[in-house]
Amino acid sequence: MQPHKLQSLSTALMSISLFYLVAFLSIFFSLLVIFSKNPIHSVLYLIITFFTFTVHYILLNAQFLAIVNFIVYMGAIMVLFLFVLMLLNLDEDSEPMKSNILKMAGLVAGLCLLITLVGSMKSLHMSDPVILKNPDLGLVKNLGKVLFSEFLLPFEISSILLLTAMVGAVLLAKREPKTA
Amino acid sequence: MSALITLSVLAIVVLYLGLFKAKNALLPVTLVGLAVVLGLAVREWNSNAAPIYSSMMLFDNFAVAFTAICVFSTMLILLISKDYFERISEHVAEYYAIILFALTGILVMVSYHNLSMLFIGIEIMSVSLYILAGIRKKSYSSNEAALKYFLMGAFSTGFLLFGITLLYGATGSFDIAVIKNYVISNPTHISPLFYSGLLLLIVGLCFKVGVAPFHFWAPDVYEGSPSLISVFMMTVVKTAGFAAFLRIFLFCFAPLHDFWMMPLMVITILTLFIGNISALYQHSFKRMLAFSSVSHAGYMLFAIVALGSASINAVILYATAYSVASIIAFAVLILVKRQMGSDNYESFNGLGRKNPFMAFALTVAMLSLAGIPLTAGFIGKFMMFSSALSEYHVSLVVLAVINAVIGIFYYLRVVVSMYFKDSDQHVVQSTPIFSFVLAFSAIVTIVLGVYPGLISNLF
Repeated sequence: MQPHKLQSLSTALMSISLFYLVAFLSIFFSLLVIFSKNPIHSVLYLIITFFTFTVHYILLNAQFLAIVNFIVYMGAIMVLFLFVLMLLNLDEDSEPMKSNILKMAGLVAGLCLLITLVGSMKSLHMSDPVILKNPDLGLVKNLGKVLFSEFLLPFEISSILLLTAMVGAVLLAKREPKTA
Repeated sequence: MSALITLSVLAIVVLYLGLFKAKNALLPVTLVGLAVVLGLAVREWNSNAAPIYSSMMLFDNFAVAFTAICVFSTMLILLISKDYFERISEHVAEYYAIILFALTGILVMVSYHNLSMLFIGIEIMSVSLYILAGIRKKSYSSNEAALKYFLMGAFSTGFLLFGITLLYGATGSFDIAVIKNYVISNPTHISPLFYSGLLLLIVGLCFKVGVAPFHFWAPDVYEGSPSLISVFMMTVVKTAGFAAFLRIFLFCFAPLHDFWMMPLMVITILTLFIGNISALYQHSFKRMLAFSSVSHAGYMLFAIVALGSASINAVILYATAYSVASIIAFAVLILVKRQMGSDNYESFNGLGRKNPFMAFALTVAMLSLAGIPLTAGFIGKFMMFSSALSEYHVSLVVLAVINAVIGIFYYLRVVVSMYFKDSDQHVVQSTPIFSFVLAFSAIVTIVLGVYPGLISNLF
């Protein structure tokens, strides 16, 4: 076998095993998020879960998404979340107890969804998880080109969404004068 | 497109009016602006619209019709908003602006040609509504409504988004024309991902229009929000939700009728029974209307279960009849609650003697909601049932007729307390604007009931 082919085969093998490792970690930590009793631990596990997603994006060569996910989700939002939880001072005792019927209903509904999804995924044929057809797909340059050509209208209309949320947040947070 | 731009600019202008403390100009400017939007939208009728902006949007006759209904209902609702928001707080301009932003989202929802636009439209509308539900900051129930709506809505958005993602995974595009081609060109080899995506999309949309078993947020949110916002949510938002629902099903998923019909039929029957039977047991008029809105969503689902060319007409007529009647009911409710301090049935006692006009308008609305002949509601139900019968869903229609009978019982309860029960409380006053809205809506209800051809043959 030619040496460069051998080399590319070994990189592919390595990145496949990396993918499976990271995928396993994502699932493992997201299960920990829902099973841990302490809300603060939950949030910390969620941060780790988001970190594994970032690694997934890097494996897919989607640098922009990886950075945004890292800074916005893992950094800003989750830290905010953590602070709010700490201020609320939640712990195991204050967790509301759900009735068993509700838990059963949730279990049945969740498992139905799982079966549907697994069933539909199972009949798909598997493609190579890491060899991308177009390795530059996720680069900032290409993303920007798509956003400002094909998806220009949704991109612009999102500004209305942001403006609405901003006006609403100010409206709800603003203190009313006492005279009202 | 011009309607969409005008509406967005109008909302920003209203925000600036608030900044410059031009309080008296707010309502007139909003109404005139909406009239312009309505005119611009109607001008596009039969203009043989083609998809625009890389086929993101298609302002066809379907979009024009639903835009017209939504803008028109919003105008009626804003007319009765005079003096309403001022009682809540000083920031009236922001309320108008957020309602207009919600309407912008609705315009996107009824004219999308790409699933990404559908998603953004639904999000703009929902985010505005989460805020509007909570504008009574001091009221516990309003806070509860906003929080509940936000949590449930965000959760359902997840389903919608996952559904859209799976559809993208199966077809490789967000464009509904490409999805349609995919369905038509692979009749036997449709990817299982597509089916899961379709089911999740149904779940997400059903959540947004509030049909059982995804209705748990609806009664609490409709009851807890300020009445004016509740009526906006029940009429305009519900109409838009069904328009979005109908658009994609009519365009893309019609060939897969056998697959999605069964789940939707079960959802319809559940919705009818849960909505109507719960409405029977309510003591508050507002909560009764909330449950009845759930059951009306069930009737509107008929158009999707019996999907066909008549579906658009049926939904348009039903949505108009339902919106107009609900606006009457809420206008009276707002007046009664403002002056009696309660929205129980007892507050309506003796209204027939003290304010015959208001009582008459409310009676017309109730008869229309119950589906009594000579009102628009009857024609709406008739069209829904006949389209279902033409597809041989006989058992569905039988169940729906049983529900319509249950409906008559609780709608007439308020009529009975208005005319046959007395109370010694003072007279409920109406203002000229309220009287105008009541009279106009009652006339629309009766005219559509007598002569439905005005809007029932648009398509």
